[in-house]
Amino acid sequence: MMELLPQALTDGILLGGIYITIAIAFSLTYGVMHVIDFAVGEWIMFGAFTGYYLNKWTGLDPFIFLPVIFVIYFGVGYLVQPVIHRVLSGTKGNPFLMGLVFTFGLAIMFRGLALTAFGFYSNSIPSAFSEGSFNLDSIGLTVTIPTVRLMGLAYAVAITLILHYLLKKTNFGLGVRALAQHKDAAGLMGVNAKRTGSYVYGIYVGISAMTGVLLGCILSIGAQMGNEYTIFAFFVVVLAGMGYLAGVPWAALLLGLVQSIFMIYFNPSHTLLAVFVILYIILLISPRGLFGKGV
Amino acid sequence: MKFGFVRVLLLIAALFVAIPVHAEQRNFYKIGVITELSGDLVTGGNITKRGYDLWAQEVNAKGGIEVQGKKYQVKLVYADAQSNPAAGAAAAERLITQEKVDFILGPYSSGVTLAVAPVVDKYKVPMITGSAESPLIWKNKFKYTFGTIPPINFTGATSIKTLTELKPAPKTIAIIGSNDAFSKATAEAYKTAAEKAKLKIVKFSIVPSGQDMTPLLSAVRSMKPDVIAFGGHDEEHVKFVKALKQIGYTPKALLMHCGITDKAFTDAVGKDGEQIFGTTCWTGTAKTKSKVLWPTASAYAAASQKAFKNPGDYTQGGCSAAGIAFQTALQKVGAKPGMDEAMRAKLVQALEQIDVQTFYGRVKFATSGEFYHANVGLDPLTIQIQNGQIKTVGPKASVEAAAQYPMKEWKSR
Repeated sequence: MMELLPQALTDGILLGGIYITIAIAFSLTYGVMHVIDFAVGEWIMFGAFTGYYLNKWTGLDPFIFLPVIFVIYFGVGYLVQPVIHRVLSGTKGNPFLMGLVFTFGLAIMFRGLALTAFGFYSNSIPSAFSEGSFNLDSIGLTVTIPTVRLMGLAYAVAITLILHYLLKKTNFGLGVRALAQHKDAAGLMGVNAKRTGSYVYGIYVGISAMTGVLLGCILSIGAQMGNEYTIFAFFVVVLAGMGYLAGVPWAALLLGLVQSIFMIYFNPSHTLLAVFVILYIILLISPRGLFGKGV
Repeated sequence: MKFGFVRVLLLIAALFVAIPVHAEQRNFYKIGVITELSGDLVTGGNITKRGYDLWAQEVNAKGGIEVQGKKYQVKLVYADAQSNPAAGAAAAERLITQEKVDFILGPYSSGVTLAVAPVVDKYKVPMITGSAESPLIWKNKFKYTFGTIPPINFTGATSIKTLTELKPAPKTIAIIGSNDAFSKATAEAYKTAAEKAKLKIVKFSIVPSGQDMTPLLSAVRSMKPDVIAFGGHDEEHVKFVKALKQIGYTPKALLMHCGITDKAFTDAVGKDGEQIFGTTCWTGTAKTKSKVLWPTASAYAAASQKAFKNPGDYTQGGCSAAGIAFQTALQKVGAKPGMDEAMRAKLVQALEQIDVQTFYGRVKFATSGEFYHANVGLDPLTIQIQNGQIKTVGPKASVEAAAQYPMKEWKSR
């Protein structure tokens, strides 16, 4: 069974790559807006269907559309954020809970809308990258790396690096970090909280929509697919530490590896249980996530 | 003020208590339908809805169900089980106590059916599920629950037998099932059949529903099984085929069950769906003859094509056949709309006695044993997707085309 270890590790890293794409922008938006957006899976689903139809109408590879999808959904997110901002900045009731309920409601509404608009069948987005794989037999390793999953990992790394650059090396990033640390103080220093929040939410929705296209190429798409990804995004972000962006890739890779190794070496039916137990133990030891730097 | 509010509440409560819980008089059959119209199993739920709707449309187009010389129309009242057994049970309770339905057409999934069955037993309202296939339903011997699709442990062995008769005969098999009542039962049925056929089982795993199975399939690939059999639902089938293709492993035969006979599966996976084997009990080309509603399977498929731009699969057909079974039983006992408990008990007796030829084939419910109240009138079929069409490749008496075996490599398609 040990000969399967290289493949198990490879699969785990590739699966972790998928989780990074799902969770990284989700973590960013939590860091800035302090809202758990339960509609993350639905933004992924909308992006997936946009990629599906663009591919169907034009016959072009869905990977070509990624920038277009980002721009479209950045615009959508930019327009939706003020509504969420209004809910979160209200004075009646508990704005945090109101925000949770609001995004939960959005998710349910989006799911129903998708069911009506896209139908109830599962679909798949064809891509030239779904066809091939790299075999490492020639260097003595029984390892296969599907091209499309490698593309997914590359996309995850690219998104992580771009977000890192944006946050650490630009004035916009400085404003975002200031906003994440202290909204009022950031405002006094000249950061426009509303506009910055809209940009961040736009970036998050844009990235989530692109992730949907990727997932449609690797796995499948359907009007009800969002729920599953929302749960995993939540797991990863909690494990990383709520709002701690730098922890997301490590948390995602850890979850991917746990799942892969457990599926191969232990009882696969208990895979999710294993994920829960590990999450629980880590949070018990370090309630603010893997690195103790979450909110 | 406070006292007044309490009085209003008491008055409302009294009104509810005063509403008599007895059968309503009406001139149409009010039929409750509990199925998965949202959630993970929404595809299957909507396929069952198509089957029930098509039956109701056809019945009403013919003037209704004729009982003792008078025709009664049917009206379906839907309740969404949300792919959640608890929601299904609550929906059943509401349909029975508030909507006061005459009888119930049941859920898509076995899990929800298992939650609804005790409720219909409690209120003594007959239910036929046109879809659920887990043997657990029938082992529980629910008096008021029937099913038109034979349980998977009744049908699953046929496909394994067909595969073992191919040349060169497969010797090893890996069996994987998703962790829900139906899919698990499918995997277990394949396991029992494989053991009986003396196939060496190199892997048997149950995996959490909806998960990415690539790591597990990577492990399976190292065992090089001749056959891979998978029990799951539509979305999982698409993921499964894509994962196998991504890791570049083509078994000699790939066997799946629910959902692959629907055109949507081949639409989703395209040429990768070619040569996949499946287990079913009905196809649109089955040689059936009936005097009720649709005369043949192909007439039903044509009607479905016209209504939904889809010829329908065995689940949809099973649901329409469930309607026909009720229709036949109602006529047999002369049960008019607004049935009381005694009449519903007679309806159950009539369902136990009916033996009717439908477009779906024979509907005859077992009255004892492990298949209690499941339809045992049908012969299971092994099918294969060939050029995008569903072809019956076994058993010998039903063969439409020779099985294509071994499977063509993914990369050479």
